[in-house]
Formats: sequence, C-alpha cells, structure tokens
Amino acid sequence: MSAEPFKVWQCRTCGYIYDEEQGDPGEGLAPGTRWADIPAGWVCPLCGTPKSDFDMIEL
Amino acid sequence: MTISTEIANTIVDPTAYADGDRVDQAFAQLRREAPLEVAQPDGFDPFWVVTRHADILEVERQNELFHNGDRATVITTIEADKKVREMMGGSPHLVRSLVQMDNPDHFAYRKITQGSLLPQNLKALEARIREIARGFIDRMAEHGDRCDFARDVAFLYPLHVIMEVLGVPESDEPRMLKLTQELFGNADPDLNRTGKSITDAGEGVDSIQSVVMDFMMYFNAITEDRRAKPRDDLASLIANGKINGEPMGHLEAMSYYIIAATAGHDTTSSTTAGALWALAENPDQFARVKADPSLIPGLIEESIRWVTPVKHFMRTATADAELAGKKIAKGDWMMLSYPSGNRDEAVFDDPFSFKVDRTPNKHVAFGYGAHICLGQHLARMEMRVLWEELFARLDSVELDGTPTRMTANFVCGPKSVPIRFKMH
Repeated sequence: MSAEPFKVWQCRTCGYIYDEEQGDPGEGLAPGTRWADIPAGWVCPLCGTPKSDFDMIEL
Repeated sequence: MTISTEIANTIVDPTAYADGDRVDQAFAQLRREAPLEVAQPDGFDPFWVVTRHADILEVERQNELFHNGDRATVITTIEADKKVREMMGGSPHLVRSLVQMDNPDHFAYRKITQGSLLPQNLKALEARIREIARGFIDRMAEHGDRCDFARDVAFLYPLHVIMEVLGVPESDEPRMLKLTQELFGNADPDLNRTGKSITDAGEGVDSIQSVVMDFMMYFNAITEDRRAKPRDDLASLIANGKINGEPMGHLEAMSYYIIAATAGHDTTSSTTAGALWALAENPDQFARVKADPSLIPGLIEESIRWVTPVKHFMRTATADAELAGKKIAKGDWMMLSYPSGNRDEAVFDDPFSFKVDRTPNKHVAFGYGAHICLGQHLARMEMRVLWEELFARLDSVELDGTPTRMTANFVCGPKSVPIRFKMH
C-alpha cells in the first residue's frame, strides 16, 4: 500500500469532489482508489467533464 | 412515428404542468412510443422532444454541437419569438445570462462567481444559513398546528438565503419574490403582472419585459453601489467582474443578477415545498427520515428528482448530427425535458414512487455538462440544513387540503401546500 497521503480532486465545471481516501463506491471506485488509477476515459459523474479537467485541491 | 398534435400541445401547455398527471402521462407515452421525435404544437416552430435520460445527457455533454444561445432557450411561440427579436435587435433573448451563452463567453462569465459557490467556500455560510433556517422553523411553530408550508416557509427561506448571499437588503425581499413569481408565473393569473390569463403572445412578452425592466432598474442601482463600495457579496463579484480585462456588458451584468435573484431561490423553494408535500402523502417515508436523519441527503436528491423545478431548456444543433439513431439537422431546435428524464423507466425503478433511499439517484434536474446548475451546492446545503433542523422538531405532518401547482411550463412547482403538523 502506498504511503503517499491521499489527495482530493475537484471538477472544474461543477465542483464535484473526488476524495481518494473515500473513493466513490457508487461509481465503482473503491475507497483508496488513487486518482492515477482511474481510467483516462472516466468522466465526472455529476456533469460529464473529462478527468483531465479536474484540479487537485486542499480541503 | 410523429408526435400527435394533442401530445405536442400538452407538453407546452402551462395548465398541464399545473395538473401534474397530465404532463407526466404525455411524457410517459412519448418515452414508450416516440422517445425522440419532432413535435409541432399549434403556434410553435417544430422541435425535437428529448425525453430519455441518456439522450438528455448526450445532448448536454456536447456543448459545441448543441448550443444554448442560437435560438430561444425556453419554448416560445412563433409570434412571441418574432416580437422578442423585434425588441432585441434580432436576438431571440430578452436577457443574456449564462443560460443564453455558449463558449467562450459562457466559461468566462461562469468563472466570475463559480468559485464562491463551490462546496469548500460555502462551508463558511453554513452557520448563518442554519440560523436563518431555525428562524423560519420558529415562525412555522408560531402558526400553531397548521400552515401553508409553501407560502409560509418554502418560498421565504431560500429567498432570504440567496438575497443575503447576493447582498440585497431584507426589506427588498418581498419585491424580489413578487418579481420572480411574475417572471416564472407569467402564465398564471394568480401570479403574473396582469392578474389574468394571458392568451396573446405579444401581451405575454410585454408582461415579461416589464418585469425584466423592473429587475434591471433595481440592480442598476446595486451595480453602482458595489462598484463604488465593493462588499463581500455576490453582487460585488458581478458588479466588478471582468471579461477579457473589461467590465462585463450592461445587459450581461443585469442578466447575471436576474438569474441569481430568481433561479437562485425559486427552484429550491419549489423543491422544498414539493418535498414536504411528498412526505405528507408518504408517511412511511417521513417516518424513515425521522428515525434515521442520515437519510436526509437521499431525501434531498429524491425531492429534486421528484419536483424537477426546471421543466426544460432548449438547445439548437450547430451542425448535422446523429442522436440515438435519428438525424438531427443543423439549426434544429430541441427540447430537453427534465421531468421526463427524471421519470425514465430505463434509469429509475418505479419512477412514480417517492423513495428517500433511492440509490443510485442520478437525476438530471440540475442539468449536465458545462451548463450544470451553478447554485446546486448552495441549494443542497440549504435543504440539508432546513431538513436537519425541521426533522429535529417535527413529529408529524399531513395535508390539510389540496396542494396546487403553478401554471407554467418552464420553472415551476407547488403554489400552495396546506399542512397540519405537530412540532415540539
């Protein structure tokens, strides 16, 4: 398991937040799923924005 | 298959939305028999009716292929469209807000306020919003055991929140509510400016235009004030917002205020009123949330799906395209029917039942794609806080008469929700 701290990412369009620690089980992303491990074709579940248009944020 | 004139007329008829069942049945029939076809109601140009959840997402996702601003963004008669274009120098829009914009303007204008409406920045408002919610619940308790939840609570609480966020003084809230109801309730004689049914398209446009002018006069003064003395409010962001280094245009600034001051509360009010209506009709669902407040987020999403306060937006194809096997031609007008998408049997089990534990609940009530509702996080937070506070005190609720809905086909919801309740 990676020792790297979990990070939080946010959709630039709608503000949806992806927290690596919590994952998004409803979207098939188990807790602990790292951003880098999410497929490039994944889109924001709220608004459809592509993964490339997410920013890493501090909460 | 083409859409019959009867069904076509129903899906644009404000009284069908007031009835509720009539429009639900029309869209259910379309989803079964003609989920993506052209309708031409009497007096309207033809348009595609996009009824399925998946097709709505597909159109909203492709912002360059399906524009907002090229034609009217709300279903409009031929006569009304002609009148608006005569008034607006050829433009089909009386205002130019984010709703009427496409990129690059849409992105540039949205950026001005988007940051302040993201969840991490809204956190700072939660304590104040809770205080406001408690105040309205205290006032509800003062009514005794009966009130009209729509008029006494749901219309006023989100109004107060957005006006504080916007920076409008409390003394002007009744005026903002009246103007909002006159705008969205233009077809409703109980709410519109004329006090009667409007059957003439020209008269309808005049009525809306006079409301828009009143809004503009009001917000013109706010702009001048905030440019001179900026504050920590949304009005100051709009007044001082720059597009490509220049102050935003007058029409665009006025339109920005208008959308914040109208859609910023009316939709949340409708959803809140519709939620309590649904809970009163479904005591098992009320009991579940009462026993387990962790269901409140589920209640909120289901209420938003259930009410779907924005009934449609129109899009225009910028090029020939194919959608779900149909050939869409450049210039075609398309109605995205959100209530239909949110009752789509292919996505929602038992869609005509109100279930606070519905999972998943990927409704399209906020839209999808670049135009997704800017205020969605504020709306959810307002509702969460209200329900947390109300469920802590509300022991029971039942209807105390027959609720009614607004007569409107664009942004609308309950007009009256009389209830009897017990509160401690």
